[in-house]
Amino acid sequence: MISLRNVNKKYRTQNGYRVVLDNVSLDFPVGKSVGILGLNGAGKSTLIRIIGDAEPPDSGSVHCDQRVSWPLGYSGGFQGNLTARENARFVARIYGESTRYVEEFTQEFSELGEYFDEPLKSYSAGMQGRFAFSVSLACNFEYYLVDEALETGDARYREKFRMAFEERRANASVILVSHNEQTIRRNCDMAAILHEGSLVLYEDLKEALFEYNILQNKPR
Amino acid sequence: MNTLSTGIADSSITPGRILAAISTQIRVINALILRETKTRYGNYKIGFLWALIEPLVGVTVFVAIFANLRNDSPSGMPLVPFMLVGFVTYALFRDPWGCMQGAISNSRNLLTFPQVTTFDVIIARGLLEILVSFFVLGFLLYMAHLMGFEVRVERPLGVLLVCLLLCVLGLGMGFLFASLEPLIPSIKQFGTQVMSRPLYFGSGLFFTVDTLPAAVREFLLYNPVLHMIELVRGEFFYEFETSYGSWTYASAWAFTTLAVGLLMHQAVHKSAIVKK
Repeated sequence: MISLRNVNKKYRTQNGYRVVLDNVSLDFPVGKSVGILGLNGAGKSTLIRIIGDAEPPDSGSVHCDQRVSWPLGYSGGFQGNLTARENARFVARIYGESTRYVEEFTQEFSELGEYFDEPLKSYSAGMQGRFAFSVSLACNFEYYLVDEALETGDARYREKFRMAFEERRANASVILVSHNEQTIRRNCDMAAILHEGSLVLYEDLKEALFEYNILQNKPR
Repeated sequence: MNTLSTGIADSSITPGRILAAISTQIRVINALILRETKTRYGNYKIGFLWALIEPLVGVTVFVAIFANLRNDSPSGMPLVPFMLVGFVTYALFRDPWGCMQGAISNSRNLLTFPQVTTFDVIIARGLLEILVSFFVLGFLLYMAHLMGFEVRVERPLGVLLVCLLLCVLGLGMGFLFASLEPLIPSIKQFGTQVMSRPLYFGSGLFFTVDTLPAAVREFLLYNPVLHMIELVRGEFFYEFETSYGSWTYASAWAFTTLAVGLLMHQAVHKSAIVKK
């Protein structure tokens, strides 16, 4: 289970501080995939980075007793001037996995072909997304933290990922950040809305989407 | 993985957890060093060659100048090994420092991985530089030997100890600069352009302290690197014993700098601007 306890986070901007997380406490239920909805700039990416321990909160704590992936995004965590193969080896090493297995799985699953030995910076956004997902799938996490990137790649490939996640549903769940309802509906069991510093979890996905619609259409 | 860095609900410290944390850290530093090697030397086949060429150029230039300037070798030491020892051991201090100072800003995206810490990315660069410098030292001395120059080491253990002091000082400077760099980016220029030049010329790479005029000598002896280079030559050459290089002064500087560097890292590594 991942649980947030009294998590605070604010950023300094031109017009003083902007609070992204205001004393947020939340338990993510075991075995459930949770979508996190929020308007642009609500702090969704920051939230997922804090959950994945890529960034420290100002105060409060994040507890977790399972293997959690790094926050998967377009290119976060990878080095552009190294090839996909070299990046895959790096990930395998830091997670203590077999480099050979991770390398082979990633190469096959990402369908990058000859590009697998080209520097990542020569990739399109879609290809980078494919690579990031394939590496993370090779590592067998119990929680996958996903930052929007499911939208990259062509439809056929998206479907392939969805299937892969579906297969792992029994022992893996997803925390997925998106402002896109479709993505959340397809991949999640429930959803939370991040708005003005507070994070509210709705056990009923429909209810969450309904609330989010109201939020989206509210004049600002 | 995450359990280590974020702590579990029951976050008591047990020997098992400490061991697991240490093994994770070793794994990460190892991966970072391999990755750094690839980025730095893998893409350019002449990468390792550069590490050899840089000191060779320095040595050649100064050997040429000195050979023409006067015929006697400095304080009785053979000229080429004298220069080699000065220039290459100096790299043990300068290179880790130079490479570590940009570590945090250049590795931002690696910090996305929860088990990769700012400490890891800084130390990995320093360790790689130290390994390369030791390799260069050994290789060039061996080459000098093959070319017929007299290379005999008087006290190998002493040489190693001074080399380690140079590394410690370099690591300390590296940690200090790497920690400050995200907050004050211009500190890098200060290091590479303002500080490194006087150090290059004032650390005894191509002279010994006893050849200096008294006034200059007194002033330059505040420089701990000069002490270390004096010491390393004293340990290395049968012909030379330094009467100026002080072990106490050199070690005090090395370990104080390392402590200050690590404390500085400790002080800033949690601030949002550093780990982001």
